[in-house]
Amino acid sequence: MSESELHVKIDELICEGTGYCVRIVPEVFAIGENGLGEVLQERPSSELEDQLEEASILCPTRAITY
Amino acid sequence: METIRDMQPPPHIEGIKHFIDYATVDEVLKSKDFRQGSHQESQPFFGDSLLTIDHNDHFERRRLEAPLFRKDALEYYERKELLPLITRSLEECEQNRGEDGLVRADLCLLVRNMLARISAVTTGIDGVDTEERTDAFRTYVEQLGTGATVEWSTEDHDEVIDRILSIRADFVKEFFAPSVERRCALIEQYRKGEIAEDDLPRDLLTLMYLHWNEAWDDELPLREAALYLVASSQTTTHAIPHMMMHLAEWFQAHPEDYEKRFDRDFLKRAGHETIRLHLPSPALLRIALRDVTLSDGTEISEGERVACLFTPANRDFSVFGDDAKKFDPYREVPNVKPWGFAFGGGEHTCIGRTLVTGLSARTDNDEGTDGTLVNIALSLFDAGLELDPNDHPSFTELSYHDAYGRFPVVLRNL
Repeated sequence: MSESELHVKIDELICEGTGYCVRIVPEVFAIGENGLGEVLQERPSSELEDQLEEASILCPTRAITY
Repeated sequence: METIRDMQPPPHIEGIKHFIDYATVDEVLKSKDFRQGSHQESQPFFGDSLLTIDHNDHFERRRLEAPLFRKDALEYYERKELLPLITRSLEECEQNRGEDGLVRADLCLLVRNMLARISAVTTGIDGVDTEERTDAFRTYVEQLGTGATVEWSTEDHDEVIDRILSIRADFVKEFFAPSVERRCALIEQYRKGEIAEDDLPRDLLTLMYLHWNEAWDDELPLREAALYLVASSQTTTHAIPHMMMHLAEWFQAHPEDYEKRFDRDFLKRAGHETIRLHLPSPALLRIALRDVTLSDGTEISEGERVACLFTPANRDFSVFGDDAKKFDPYREVPNVKPWGFAFGGGEHTCIGRTLVTGLSARTDNDEGTDGTLVNIALSLFDAGLELDPNDHPSFTELSYHDAYGRFPVVLRNL
């Protein structure tokens, strides 16, 4: 998969700011000033795909797509 | 019959500071200044399970169990396990045809049977195959559920705990121990290189024994399994009778919508609205880890227990509108999950939520599964479900939970 094919998003409606995504892929996620998850890199390297998959499944509210 | 009742606060939260508005409940659930405070009496059944551990321990356990809820796993559970089981359960109903030629069933029992095998598959319990074994297994799960929610019981709590521990010992002998034995043997084969990892079952018990943590006690898999068995069927078995009652009332008031009983999106909305109004877990207790001052100025001392009452919070007029206490499948609520706190919140959000709502829920940016509510509702309408005009539903008297104890229906197309 080329770099541009990954497009990371957090659904703010359901994100609850647990920060689990930050623990899995800190290069891509952070907790913003509003206490919710924030995407640092919308189109990260494809090398991170496995970690993004884990973050999306592990997110308690399933707020992440990529 | 009143179908939307106010919550009766159970005795175990009397005297505890409690919150009933959406914003404060949301704040407490999201806050890292609290830990789980529910299930104090039910520790023998749920102690140290995912439900009762917090923060780093919770994260690590959830990380271990997350593969059970991958998209391909959810698709497998729904298509290969749930749908055939729904069909089989309805076929079994046909054996109970009355002298008038109509098939009648208790919807509470029927849905519990449908969910029994899916909970066995995700947890890793073998031998739930024949009708007789499914009945036995379902009865055990119901009893484990009684123990796990003993705080809500209207019976003597110590007696309930003793009784259910004895029943659990029988469950271990009959179902749990043989299932663990088979998985441990397979894991041994895998470690010797005799089978591939893909040949191992994809279930909770296999994951736990494959990735055993020396800090765990020997009974932890039993308590974790009890949580999965009870929780994976509880939301749906609780919600379906309420959903059918609300839809019967809705179709009576809105006959133009009757054909929508086969419309997946309409049923999805009806399901979300049902679990918003009738929560399987109506309250959750939290314990403050330090002195906390909430946004509304409420002060909570370190070690103090507080109760989040989900039922009134999910009917908060300021969030869900002036008609928040009414069922409306067309409800649109911006910036709030349509089911509110039906699956809790924060890091303790129910890990199995997507089993119930599906991956194509209105909040998920994904196509995939429809979940148990939509699939079961569709099958019931396909079977011609109607409320039995001569035998009315009744609520359970054994618990403070907002649950039906009996829900007689006629299945006209069987």
